[in-house]
Amino acid sequence: MHILVVGLSHRTAPVDLRECVDFKGRVEAALGALASRGSTHEAVVLSTCNRAEVYAASDDVGTARADLAAFMSDFHGVDPANLSPHLYDLADLDSARHLFRVAAGLDSLVVGEPQILGQVKEAHALATGAQTVGPVLNRLFHSSFAAGKRVRTETGLAAGAVSVSFAAVALARKIFGDLKRRTVLVIGAGEMGKLTAQHMKSQGVQQVTIVSRTMAHAARTAELIGGASAAPWEEMDAALGASDIVITATGAGTTILTKSHLEAVMRPRRNRPLFIIDIAMPRDVEPAAGEIEQVFLYNIDDLQATVRENLARRASEVLSAEAIVTEEVGKFVAWLRSRVAIPTVVALRQKFEIIRRAELERLDFKLSALPPDARPEARACVDEITRLIIEKLLLTPTEQLKGLGDHDRVAAYSEALTRLFGLTSSTDAEPEPGTQRPERVEGRVEPFRAKSRPSNRG
Amino acid sequence: MNVVPLALYAVAFLAYAWHFTRRNPAVGQTATILLVAGALAHTFVIGMQTMEAGHVPITGPTSAISDFVWLLALAYLYTEMTTDERAMGVFILPLLVVLQAIPAMNPSIEERAPVLQGPLFGIHVSSLLFAYASFALACVIGITYVLLFKEIKAKHLGFFYARLPSLQVLDRMNQRAIVIGWIFLTVGIIAGVVFAGQARALPSAALDPRVQAMSLGDPKIFVALLCWAVYSFELFAARRIGWGGRRTAYLSALGFSIVLLNFVPVSYFLTKSHNF
Repeated sequence: MHILVVGLSHRTAPVDLRECVDFKGRVEAALGALASRGSTHEAVVLSTCNRAEVYAASDDVGTARADLAAFMSDFHGVDPANLSPHLYDLADLDSARHLFRVAAGLDSLVVGEPQILGQVKEAHALATGAQTVGPVLNRLFHSSFAAGKRVRTETGLAAGAVSVSFAAVALARKIFGDLKRRTVLVIGAGEMGKLTAQHMKSQGVQQVTIVSRTMAHAARTAELIGGASAAPWEEMDAALGASDIVITATGAGTTILTKSHLEAVMRPRRNRPLFIIDIAMPRDVEPAAGEIEQVFLYNIDDLQATVRENLARRASEVLSAEAIVTEEVGKFVAWLRSRVAIPTVVALRQKFEIIRRAELERLDFKLSALPPDARPEARACVDEITRLIIEKLLLTPTEQLKGLGDHDRVAAYSEALTRLFGLTSSTDAEPEPGTQRPERVEGRVEPFRAKSRPSNRG
Repeated sequence: MNVVPLALYAVAFLAYAWHFTRRNPAVGQTATILLVAGALAHTFVIGMQTMEAGHVPITGPTSAISDFVWLLALAYLYTEMTTDERAMGVFILPLLVVLQAIPAMNPSIEERAPVLQGPLFGIHVSSLLFAYASFALACVIGITYVLLFKEIKAKHLGFFYARLPSLQVLDRMNQRAIVIGWIFLTVGIIAGVVFAGQARALPSAALDPRVQAMSLGDPKIFVALLCWAVYSFELFAARRIGWGGRRTAYLSALGFSIVLLNFVPVSYFLTKSHNF
């Protein structure tokens, strides 16, 4: 079985093309369409703002690759000639690595952004719901979740805010802890002030008050935000005294808050910190005000500088994140390789089972010498013993075979077993050029494996 | 025997330091487990000494340091478990290791002097040890507050910004530790005064120069009262003048350095009243 990904992302396609091949809201339909094409055994569709990808498991990479590319243009009604230059396709190890990097946020537009892991999980859940996920993609996606989670917890790839508004909120949290009982004062009723106030509101602050030189402007902006209140310019000092976070965004061009003004405001506040975010240009707050003990003053440049620092820090974490991805890909590939041995193991089990049944039948004749009421018990006993003997005999070779990581050695061991035990069940299918024998057989013998599992434990 | 907890504290410190720099959650959990193991081993050691001596070994400075380390480990574990915040461990653990090295190198159990009897003496020592453990926590929290405060003020959001809880949380933890410490310090001092009064009344007291030295003139007693004054001022300043943040953080560092001074050098070299 081979794994394949075909798709496009912000790295390969311009935004207008990405909009055309967006699966949003149509993922189930796409999965149904893919299943009906029949070129793949398993499929998952991953669709985000910045990427549209189809992950598939198939026996024949070449055919599946061409068919998935055709599917992308068919489903979205895009001319293949326009689409194909922007499509990438990766197979097996490379496709696993790609998905793990995507889940870890390494392939995102903003490196380490947090939403992508949830989107990958959702893609997997949708495909599970549509029953297009089999054992291979299921394992692949669960491994990618593990890789994504490890990168998030063990590296700083997702640490630090990477936009100015999130940097401001992160700072506020570092000063105040919980923002729920905090009061925000916005000075200036312009667009910038409104946007920042909305952002603060969405972060769960208790109250947002807007102060503007024109009371009507303040009232209208407060109404637009919803749940905010407006106050006249003359009451600014009272509002300052009651606030924890102040956002200044006037277009005044003159200093609104001087150091001495703020010193007077701070005195009755005693030790309560005041976080001032000056996003006006030119600035509204005298820079020296930041010298007041419990005043934390950040202007737009300061916030942008922290964003740049965070981006640089994330970039420095890329190497350790890639190392985790490589480790997880290694684990997944080991699992995938262990599956190569499955047909041989199944054939070996079948062989043993056939012999056992034949011998049991012969024994049945001898058992008829026993009294009739003792026969079922004796038969059950012999059945149980022979079954256990076979289980125990096969346990070690099965584990050894599955534990081999090296593809060539698995093939050599399988070959040896096939010859030594005269296994035939894996050679009776028609040979196909260009595909490896064990993998070809695998899909067919899979149900046997599922059945034989409980008896492994017994 | 004190070497076993010392070794565990030292290893736990390395784990906390690793956790602090690399922020690996598994390492953090390991660090906590190691510290719990150290505290349990320490509990065992103190329990064994209690059985051997027939009383809790709290009289000599060496045993008192061991008890203090044990209390501090427990107090820290309590805060870690209630706040789910491991960042402070890297600051507390060195203190545990350095102080625990003293009893680990002087493994003797001192004979208890006959005057040191009764519940008041027990209350005196255990309250003060608990107060000192609280002050140690307050000091470490205060230091981390200042480190974070400086990073935010300097607009250079780096190492501590990414690792410490918010300023308000640190400030509140600091205040709480000081209030608890101050209450126990007060109880301990009052118990000590009452105990000294009773000890003087004992017939054997006249022969014991240490009992005679129990006055304000003794360095240990004087420094303890100085300590009480510092923390009382800190509480007063926080409640009445609205001090907080950096100022209280500095004061808790000052207060704890006095505690340490009283605890180690004064106990070993200077005091005439407390050298049992």
